[in-house]
Amino acid sequence: MTALLQAAAARAPAARIGMALFVALFFAWLFGPLVLMGITAFNSSAFPRVSPWECFSVEWFEALAGDKALMEGLRNSVVIGLGVVALAVPTGLAGALMLMQVGERARPWYYSVVISPILIPGVVLGISTLVFWDRIGAMFGAGHKTFFYDGVFLTVIGQATFISAYCMLVFISRLQRFNPALHEAALDLGATQLQAFRKVLLPFLKPAIASAAVLAFLASFENYNTTVFTIASESTLTTVLAGKVRYGINPSVSALAVVIAAVTLLFAAVLEVARRRRQRAAAESEKIARGLLRSRTRKKPLLLEPALLMIVTVFVAGAGTAWFAGSIGLEECKAAVLEEKRRDAEERVRTFQQRQMFRRAAPQAN
Amino acid sequence: MTSEVALENVWIRFGDFVAARDINITIRAGEFFSFLGPSGCGKTTLLRAVSGFLEPSEGRVLIGGADMAGIGPNKRPTALIFQNLALFPLMSVWENITFALEVRGVGAARRRKRADELLELIALPGQGDKTVGELSGGQRQRVAIARALAAEPEVLLLDEPLSALDLKLRQRMRTELRDIQRRVGITFIYITHDQGEALTMSDNIAVMREGVIEQVGDGNTLYDRPNTAFVASFVGENNLFRGTVGAAERGAVTVETAAGALRARPATGAALAAGDDAFVFIRPESLRFDDAMEMENRIGAHIQRREFEGSFWQVFLDADGAEQPLKLSMVNDDAAAARRPGQRVTLGFAAELAVATRAGPLAAG
Amino acid sequence: MTPLRHLREFHRRNGAGLSLFLIGATGFWILFMIVLPQLFMADFSFRANVPPPKWGTPEHYYTLEHYRYMIYGGGGEGSFNVIDLRVFFKTIGAAMLVTLFDAALCYPIAWHLAQAARGGWARLMVLALVVPFWVNEILRAFAFHILFGASGVLNSALMAAGVLDEPYDFVRENIALYAGLGYAFILLMIFPIYNAMESLDKNQVEAARDLGASRWRIHRRVVMPHAKPGITSGCTMVFMLTAGALAAPQILGGPGSLWFTQIIYQAFNQAGNWARGSAYAIILLVSCIVLVLALMKAFKVRLGEIAR
Repeated sequence: MTALLQAAAARAPAARIGMALFVALFFAWLFGPLVLMGITAFNSSAFPRVSPWECFSVEWFEALAGDKALMEGLRNSVVIGLGVVALAVPTGLAGALMLMQVGERARPWYYSVVISPILIPGVVLGISTLVFWDRIGAMFGAGHKTFFYDGVFLTVIGQATFISAYCMLVFISRLQRFNPALHEAALDLGATQLQAFRKVLLPFLKPAIASAAVLAFLASFENYNTTVFTIASESTLTTVLAGKVRYGINPSVSALAVVIAAVTLLFAAVLEVARRRRQRAAAESEKIARGLLRSRTRKKPLLLEPALLMIVTVFVAGAGTAWFAGSIGLEECKAAVLEEKRRDAEERVRTFQQRQMFRRAAPQAN
Repeated sequence: MTSEVALENVWIRFGDFVAARDINITIRAGEFFSFLGPSGCGKTTLLRAVSGFLEPSEGRVLIGGADMAGIGPNKRPTALIFQNLALFPLMSVWENITFALEVRGVGAARRRKRADELLELIALPGQGDKTVGELSGGQRQRVAIARALAAEPEVLLLDEPLSALDLKLRQRMRTELRDIQRRVGITFIYITHDQGEALTMSDNIAVMREGVIEQVGDGNTLYDRPNTAFVASFVGENNLFRGTVGAAERGAVTVETAAGALRARPATGAALAAGDDAFVFIRPESLRFDDAMEMENRIGAHIQRREFEGSFWQVFLDADGAEQPLKLSMVNDDAAAARRPGQRVTLGFAAELAVATRAGPLAAG
Repeated sequence: MTPLRHLREFHRRNGAGLSLFLIGATGFWILFMIVLPQLFMADFSFRANVPPPKWGTPEHYYTLEHYRYMIYGGGGEGSFNVIDLRVFFKTIGAAMLVTLFDAALCYPIAWHLAQAARGGWARLMVLALVVPFWVNEILRAFAFHILFGASGVLNSALMAAGVLDEPYDFVRENIALYAGLGYAFILLMIFPIYNAMESLDKNQVEAARDLGASRWRIHRRVVMPHAKPGITSGCTMVFMLTAGALAAPQILGGPGSLWFTQIIYQAFNQAGNWARGSAYAIILLVSCIVLVLALMKAFKVRLGEIAR
């Protein structure tokens, strides 16, 4: 950031410095609250706060693992996330392929309908899903034990309604770069429609399928508005979290945030490394085509990439250090803090008493 | 194996637009046949009807005598080389080449062997494991041909496959394509807007304009005996005189033009009669200075400028009464060197080398 | 072309298996996940509030009572449902303000990202923008709670600095809520604007500058018109999500103030009045759609350009 400021200052105009400052402030705002929350996860204080700092501690992480409701919610969230991926990715794919084929006149209508779930408030989607399947269940005379009333099923359906549209957008943008002649070439060479789809289109869509799946899982995992209506008597990580946050705050929620942030950062790092590898491979191919290079260098497995190894090492070392530092001397520190608090309280009691005494003494002085 | 391709009364419509109008043509088995025409003339549409990507609105497509109605592109004995080649970017070269065998369920070992044979044929031995991205333009071109040939088609369809290449490579690929066609011996149907490609490679050429076939014939016939004004102006260069038919006899007509009365051979099927609007075409190399006095047609002109082209000169002339400059090409010799801009000359040409067509649309440019 | 001909053409192009998959999947999605649920909810909102066993019986008659309730409340004619109406308009108004705030905040950032930032730095910025939004919505709200709470970071800091003598109640004053809402959907404002700006030819800006246009005028006449679909798209998304937000108001809202979604939530989960909940959901949906369509009409942007 300072380097940016200096670079901007070198090119002088005040506007540039202003812009750089604005960008810096913006990112501070973006990360500040999250970083502060992360810090509170390591404070032994029972209330999530940065100051007063009591003891460096990892006990809130331990509390996390022992939290039954949270773990139950986490399990449901994963199940629902996988269900949504299984439903929304094919649906989004079909939706995108269909868009390429509907006639000129029908296209705006079709697009409006399938894109609408993105714009409909999640609350409304949740309610409509709940009402609809309830009515359908009643029509079939299904009992309350059937899937029509099952929180996990309803949540998968409710979330997939709009997540399918996200996936569709991913597929549309990839399909726009597809050369339709490839499909025709496959047919021309004798492939059936299904073979052309499987051998030509599907491999081309593979990266989009992967990103749609990741997107679907993340969107499902973090959804609250729809889920809170469809989940019925079950719970997901977000509903458990919301309950916790609303009715009694403690730093184990911060600890969870730290875990999630660490996982996503690691994930982002893997993605970035994978992207660079692809770029390098593409550059190499072009060199070969222009005769500058004889053959490809042998590919290392992704996990052995030095950059990735380094990042993983840093993560593991960081976690280990935190663990070590957070458990060593924690009891002593806590005792000390407690002692200090006790002394503090005593002090306050003493001043109070003195003041009382003084007040009681004062009228006599009069 | 090779097959004859026939189009019978084929009409292709897209809504109100007619892309092909009553096409009747027979392409002999084993022939190198070209459809030549400017972009938008319907030649690609016809090719798609042959390959099965679209069904004609009317009429029949026959390959080897069999009606292809309702038979999809994957069931027809044709293979198409796409304009942008459409190589599968995620497959290696050898997988590309043997895709047709893969979808038929041929095992990997046999496919690999066949790929090596075909790589040999297209002079790219040992390159099978490269990715498509690692090939140069010309190499890609040849891989596309090998991929189509691997399907063992009876008819190979080529949709302007050379248009993406640079000039040098394009010229080399012409020879190579013709060579491959002779070796595999199957019918080639070639689509192009480049008359040079069509003339050098083809046994027969169909010239198309706005969904209609104007003329079918070998390169010589099209060049020397164009049937319509469009063919005369599209194939090769031509000088044009507009006029009205004065007298029509057997084998020769007289056309009254601004440059005087010109005698010419009437185009086949033109059926010119006195009073008809007509065009007279004469090739630049058929115009003469020297023995002009002995020619049946003579025109007075000024030399405007000349361009040196190596083995010959292009001379541009302002002819008396002509609306656009005439072009004359002559062999580069002493006589040619003596011709200077500004000179007054008399041009002549033989009636049997000039063609009179019915007045009609001309090729653009 | 007749529908049958369409279908035959579709089948010819896709083959049996693929046709079945395409029609089956999109059909299920459109019918059973999008259209019918909305219709059923609408139907439900026009029916009397009776306990579930009586649903579908004559006692489950059609009525406008829930919509009437939204306006007039439970009292007699002439009195208005002040609570619900006020919450409704406050929600819509606040969502608009949050949207405007986000647009103003994100426009320069998107501009910087699209035109000034380059190569690795730009990629890093994109990543830095995305990563905070991989953290759960609830946790993000929670972070703001920590920041703004009575014994939160901001209060401690301000008190330590001597600015405040005693904690200021950011939560009660809804400052925490608005900050949290403004934070929550920033990403959906930045990226549409960024995408639109990225396609702007840098030469156009240079040309305008070369012709002596001021910075403001360049944006006014060149950049903004080009980025208009992106801005509208971003505003639409942020407005819809803010008006329909539930987690942030629940976590950051003051005790005395409600968001309209919270009223819907209460109708469903506390009062057990599905019919009224549905009616309120319809009201929220319809008013949001009307507002967004009005916005798109005002800026002459088509739906097809949204959410790209």
